[in-house]
Amino acid sequence: MEKVTTVCPYCGAGCKMKLVVDNGRIIRAEAAAGATNQSELCLKGYYGWDFLNDTKLLTPRLREPMIRREKGGPFETVSWDEAIKYVAKRFAEIKAKHGARAIMTTGSSRGTGNETNYVMQKFTRAVLGSNNVDCCARVCHGPSVAGLRETLGNGAMSVSIEDLEQAKCLLIFGYNSADSHPIVARRIVKAKQNGAKIIVCDPRRIEAARIADQHLQLNNGCNVVMVNAFIYTLLEENLYNKDYVAKYTEGFDSLWNVVKDYAPEKVEAITGVSAQEVRQAMRTYASSPSSVICWGMGVTQFGQGTETVKSLSTLALLSGNLGRHGAGVAPVRGQNNVQGGCDMGVLPDLFPGYQKVTDAAVRAKFAKAWGIDPESMDKEVGVRITDVPHLALEGKVKAYYIMGEDPLQTEADLSLVRKGIDALDLLVVQDIFMTKTAEAADVILPATSWGEHGGVFTCADRGFQRFEKAIEPKYNVKRDWDIISLIATEMGYPMHYDNNQQIWDELRELCPLYYGVTYEKMGEFGHIQWPCPTLDHPGTPLLYTDNKFATPSGKGQLFATHWRKPAELTDEEFPLVLCTVREVGHYSCRSMTGNCAALKTLADEPGLVNINPEDALALGIKDQQLVWVASRRGKVISRANVSDRINRGAVYMTYQWWIGACNELTQDNLDPTSKTPETKYCAANVSAIEDQTWAENYAAQVYSEMKARLRHAVEDARPAAVTA
Amino acid sequence: MNSFILADANKCIGCRTCEVACAVAHRADGDVTALSAINFTPRIHVVKGATISTATQCRQCEDAPCANVCPNNAIRRAHGFVQVQQERCIGCKTCVVACPYGAMEVVTYPVVRNTGAAVNVLRERAQANKCDLCYDRPEGPACIEVCPTAALRCVDRDDLAMLSADKRRRTALDNGAGFCV
Repeated sequence: MEKVTTVCPYCGAGCKMKLVVDNGRIIRAEAAAGATNQSELCLKGYYGWDFLNDTKLLTPRLREPMIRREKGGPFETVSWDEAIKYVAKRFAEIKAKHGARAIMTTGSSRGTGNETNYVMQKFTRAVLGSNNVDCCARVCHGPSVAGLRETLGNGAMSVSIEDLEQAKCLLIFGYNSADSHPIVARRIVKAKQNGAKIIVCDPRRIEAARIADQHLQLNNGCNVVMVNAFIYTLLEENLYNKDYVAKYTEGFDSLWNVVKDYAPEKVEAITGVSAQEVRQAMRTYASSPSSVICWGMGVTQFGQGTETVKSLSTLALLSGNLGRHGAGVAPVRGQNNVQGGCDMGVLPDLFPGYQKVTDAAVRAKFAKAWGIDPESMDKEVGVRITDVPHLALEGKVKAYYIMGEDPLQTEADLSLVRKGIDALDLLVVQDIFMTKTAEAADVILPATSWGEHGGVFTCADRGFQRFEKAIEPKYNVKRDWDIISLIATEMGYPMHYDNNQQIWDELRELCPLYYGVTYEKMGEFGHIQWPCPTLDHPGTPLLYTDNKFATPSGKGQLFATHWRKPAELTDEEFPLVLCTVREVGHYSCRSMTGNCAALKTLADEPGLVNINPEDALALGIKDQQLVWVASRRGKVISRANVSDRINRGAVYMTYQWWIGACNELTQDNLDPTSKTPETKYCAANVSAIEDQTWAENYAAQVYSEMKARLRHAVEDARPAAVTA
Repeated sequence: MNSFILADANKCIGCRTCEVACAVAHRADGDVTALSAINFTPRIHVVKGATISTATQCRQCEDAPCANVCPNNAIRRAHGFVQVQQERCIGCKTCVVACPYGAMEVVTYPVVRNTGAAVNVLRERAQANKCDLCYDRPEGPACIEVCPTAALRCVDRDDLAMLSADKRRRTALDNGAGFCV
């Protein structure tokens, strides 16, 4: 029996854990003493590893490379050699005919790790020849990266996860830690026990609201109004730190001109929060010796996500709450390696280490390291994943190489995404499971999973941590970066790596921000936070300690803007706001957690639509009954969870359900800067189903049909010689 | 005095890690991968209301109503808690009705029984399910071990005495001025 130290593959909390392996099989997970988790895990950490056994509880593992020769035809299993040659040839043809920018690739924010993401963006930039590489950060904290880079300079948490419990005040805005990051929620609970004041801004009565000193239960879709009222209060009541503002910030003079229209008293009707509550919240926030603002998708997944992030960072700048322990900004990243995806430059505008693709000197540096002509490199910002469906329909993107992501489950307005995917000439999916996206692929490249390989992840607080291989893969699968290297080589760019560390050392040399983060320094339990510029640098738990910001002028940029209403408003036919949220036991598209026995036992299809008791009563819906939820784009079956934690007039669904898929209903209004979809707000209706027996049978039947279909897609695939 | 497991609602985040740990700890094979909706019978339950999230389980009452009403004397005090002797349980559910905390549940599970005529048949066996403080688990209660916010603890006579003493002190010292007449 051996114990392998690794990092949990789920949320961005970065929990260190040990997999106990006996005879090549994992038998349990144990908590380990990581910097962020301090020997605690949540249920996903403890009980979320048995997907590695290919349980087929939801969908089977991908076992062999497969090609679908014609749209709608069956998959044919092929050798790796044939799969690689086929993909390379098709990419080369499409590039020759339609240009480099007709091919799009994705990194993966999940179990594959930083090394793969580096290799994928290198492949895209050096071999395919464009900046068309992106990742699902686009649909979650994209606005945090874009917004904070403008106002403070770094698109990440300025504090450590550990700092949250040292804060004297936590302002928690649109962030449900208990469901998204239980191990971060633990810090919030500890902060409260330590006497911190907790202020929660959320339309729902989330767990943190329960223990909060103040819960500002604002209406859905008016974040900018609320933050403007906060800024108004800071200015009007002279609560801001004049010395700090004068020394370290710019843009103060333009603030009042915007926020003067947002007096707390004046906007009560929009926010639904009393002026007194707003003013009290700001008095607490500004007078506390140290305050942290935490936010999540409740801020970013709106059409004004980036602007809201910039305004929230303005609160921190106005009150001087940056650069000290327990004081800062904390956009808590969702997926285990979504920070890493951004760090590694699987972004269309940035090379690894946040170096701009539009900077000729940076391009020259990477071109030299990669042995290519800098003039051959794409000088423009590439395509973002949320633009792909539109560009595919316009015929501008012809091929899509998706690695470890499931856009046919996780992106907004799935009927649009399906149309876009259908319009492609070539869809290559590299994954571990037969996801909905894999099912639509022309080529499937099966990869090793977390647990079957090692590498480096970056957790939500910029901490690089190593994770290790615990078991041997069972099937004919390859490491993600090995697959990419083989395609690159076949396309005439020899690429070969012996191991993860070789890749890591190549990228360290190219990224001053991470140069000092060596494998040795990370070791078994090291948590090295960037920036870490030199070999003897310990890493940076706190950003901006000298109040110098990574902006062109070195000063923090103050920002306020006017509110715009969400894109799709409720009406008579669709009177409810639909907001998509998380729940604790499942993760992302659910391909991993849905295949775990315990997690599936706790929550399974068709998933829940959370609704207020009064709304449910008016609709004749009883708790746990199946209902239809519809929007202008579709209709899905779901189970009503009647709860008085939910505000009236809004319903909440999680995006992980494959039958009760709320992204069939969401809409694709994008934040203009980050191109993040407004999945927190669309118009919907909920209707009762008279015959519950029929409904239960229907939901069970479509679920089992879907599972059978996905299983057959893998199990029925044969080599061409056999099927012919 | 019996010990019992208590959840602090100020710390509980409603994640249900305790429920899974309980179900796994009470499986003979201890195998989390064998859990399913049919055999998932935790003895601790997370309850969420508008303002409360907490975990509920048996209080190990000193004068336990479940034990008092059991017609087959299957429930008694042993090992410092209220124990169900499963071999005596007939699944009558009287204890479920009697328990004021909803901490007792009768669950059924399939067993293979030999009919005596060399025929094995699948029968349902009932058992009264309640917290047993994981008394036969060397590491102690599984729920306490996994709770990520340390919301669960096992309270014994001394802890209770301390809890009361703390409250007395707080009452006296916080409100002491009001008592000076």
